[in-house]
Amino acid sequence: MKLAIVVQRYGADINGGAELHARYVAEHLARHAQVTVLTTCARDYVTWHDEYAAGIEQINGVAVHRFSVDRDRDIKTFARWSDRVFEHEHSYLDELKWLDAEGPTSSALLNYIRAHHRSYDYFLFFSYRYYHAYHGARAVADRAILVPTAERDAAIGLGMTPPLFRGVRAIMYNSPEERRLIQAAAHNETVPGVVVGIGSEIPAEARADRFRQKYGITGRFALYLGRIDQNKGCKELFAFFLQALPALPKGLGLVLVGKEILPIPDHPRIRHLGFLYDQDKYDALAAADLLVMPSYYESLSMVALEAWALGKPVLANGKCEVLRGQCIRSKAGLYYETQAEFVETLRAIADGRSLNTALGVNGRQFFQQHYAWPVIEQKYLDMLKRLQGDDEAKRTPPGMEPEPGFFAKRRKTLRPAAEVLAELPSGPVLN
Amino acid sequence: MAEFNIRTDSVDVEQIMRQIRARIKEKRGVDYTEQQIQELANVKLERFLDPKGIRSDLVEQFKRNRGTSPEPPNYGFEDTTLYETHRGIVRFFRKLLNPILKLFINPNPVVHVLHLQGQINNINAQQFRVREELDGLYYEVIHNLVLEVTRLGIENKNLKMRVESVNSRMDFDERRARALEGVVQYKPGSGPSREPRPVPARNFNDRQPQYSRPEPRPEQRPEPRTEQRPEQRNDARPEPVPDQPTSVAPQTQPAQGDQPPPADGSGTARRRRRRRRGRRGGRGRSLTETANAATAPAGSEAVASTPPHGDPTAEAAQSSDDEADAFDDSDSGSDSGGDEGPDTGQ
Repeated sequence: MKLAIVVQRYGADINGGAELHARYVAEHLARHAQVTVLTTCARDYVTWHDEYAAGIEQINGVAVHRFSVDRDRDIKTFARWSDRVFEHEHSYLDELKWLDAEGPTSSALLNYIRAHHRSYDYFLFFSYRYYHAYHGARAVADRAILVPTAERDAAIGLGMTPPLFRGVRAIMYNSPEERRLIQAAAHNETVPGVVVGIGSEIPAEARADRFRQKYGITGRFALYLGRIDQNKGCKELFAFFLQALPALPKGLGLVLVGKEILPIPDHPRIRHLGFLYDQDKYDALAAADLLVMPSYYESLSMVALEAWALGKPVLANGKCEVLRGQCIRSKAGLYYETQAEFVETLRAIADGRSLNTALGVNGRQFFQQHYAWPVIEQKYLDMLKRLQGDDEAKRTPPGMEPEPGFFAKRRKTLRPAAEVLAELPSGPVLN
Repeated sequence: MAEFNIRTDSVDVEQIMRQIRARIKEKRGVDYTEQQIQELANVKLERFLDPKGIRSDLVEQFKRNRGTSPEPPNYGFEDTTLYETHRGIVRFFRKLLNPILKLFINPNPVVHVLHLQGQINNINAQQFRVREELDGLYYEVIHNLVLEVTRLGIENKNLKMRVESVNSRMDFDERRARALEGVVQYKPGSGPSREPRPVPARNFNDRQPQYSRPEPRPEQRPEPRTEQRPEQRNDARPEPVPDQPTSVAPQTQPAQGDQPPPADGSGTARRRRRRRRGRRGGRGRSLTETANAATAPAGSEAVASTPPHGDPTAEAAQSSDDEADAFDDSDSGSDSGGDEGPDTGQ
């Protein structure tokens, strides 16, 4: 079987959620099929500037075919179009212009997909909200499998997304919350879909003492892993942590791992270690009392899964329905929404030995049951087998709905996307 | 905070969260999110602006009309306006016949007045625009004020609850102090002798029994309460007795007042509590009372070495001691070492 994985960026040094997700899936499916990654030369997700060389290369045994980007992203133009389509009544054409402004616009990639339609059995498109996924999936709808990595943001309320969700062959969801959100927006219940998520490369051993020795951290600490950014809820985390210091468990510090975008408060109980390589990251997880996930928007938190894989409880932001749902379903984490809840939940996990252990054990079990690689691989293989069965039986899929005509495309009849999003169901899915 | 004792198979995260929220509510009342504060503030603002329901949609209308209103219509009127036309020939004839028109009426005052009126309209429009901008600013200011007042109200409520909590803790401590003083006096088998006798000499470094009352420093020593005491003290302190066993301590009870803390550091927490109690000056038994009781004649009821059956202070002391220990343990577990301060979770 020949599979093409189409993703906006790709590389061993790219750690963005969807991109890492795509890489892991590519590397694992490569054991069962012939996998080619189709991507752009971009490395920076803000500018989409061509940094890698166009052409074919091998990364961890997977062939990667890179195509150059037509133009860098103009942030101001993108912001203007975002405001138009998210906040005001607009037309289908406005949405297409928004998509064009968002990028990464690569006509070479699209041309390749169109030209090699028959060369691959299936195309797996990652991240529904980008240019390559929308136009690529429309170009090869009868072979398109979408991995939407959708979060609860306004893009899901755009008028152009429901036809995309209805027109692909299958959808690999990250979480039950994501599935409910997409199904509520697109009414695509008939499209084959399965909640898969993503596994993680957990090392055979993660050593807390090695981490403590290397970084000189002796006390107990809560760990944050990821980009230190306001969008990730770090500002709120700092405020909550600093305000709660007198009430926090004795000696409990906060250790931050990741690229600093937001200024980090200068306090002896907050340590920033910068970017860590995988082994150090897992050692840090092993040494931590718990993982803190302050993010408001996540389609699936890989670091939370990694923490659970290592038997560490998670303290998540309850405003993020996916994280909240994961905590409840896994029975392996607590969540907070207010300052007081942050303090109490942190104390409960850090001070309550039996609770900490129970959550950790549940987390490990949850990971093994749902996110171990054999489970993930099997779900992908089952889906591919099902689609192959449909193809062999000549069960034709409904196909992609055509785009509106010349005039319809220009009619400003679409509601603001943020307004549409507000009407979609929210909260964790518990069954 | 009590630990959640949980088995792996029985973790119910939602149940734990409910318990945590109930605990928070119990400790500090309702905890509002920023969004809820905003909503509350909006409600209050509307009530504030519409106290008698005269215009219930005032705020809505205001919000709706907050956009810049269109420019009011105006005209420019000059001395040539009366004769303006796009046809040159007509303009020529109008000017030509102007002297004839002036035979019937004088158009100059009319032109002047209309010109002035145009200027007045312009000034009004400008002032209106400034006013409109200020209105938006006023609305923002009032909105922010109400928001802050709401926030302060909530904080005030929380602080009130904390004050109540501190009050009740203080009452509890005072009751406990009283009960402990009762125990000091009535401890079975360790009460003061019925006969007054000199205080045995003691080394200051000797460890004090937990129930003995501290002795005052010399410069802080209160006035002697009985006439015999200064002599007793002088007589009783001729030389220190090293390694005095603690079992004799109850007999030192009559020596009242604050004594410097022992140097060995043992029992620090209890001494600290005692000192705190001393600072508060509680409603417990006064030093004088205790001293008098301790030095009372042998036959007195007050100095009976065993308390009367069912003495509530003894029972209270027993139970309050246990409770207090548990309380202090929990405190020490939650306080941060370097950041001692109030427990915000309270």
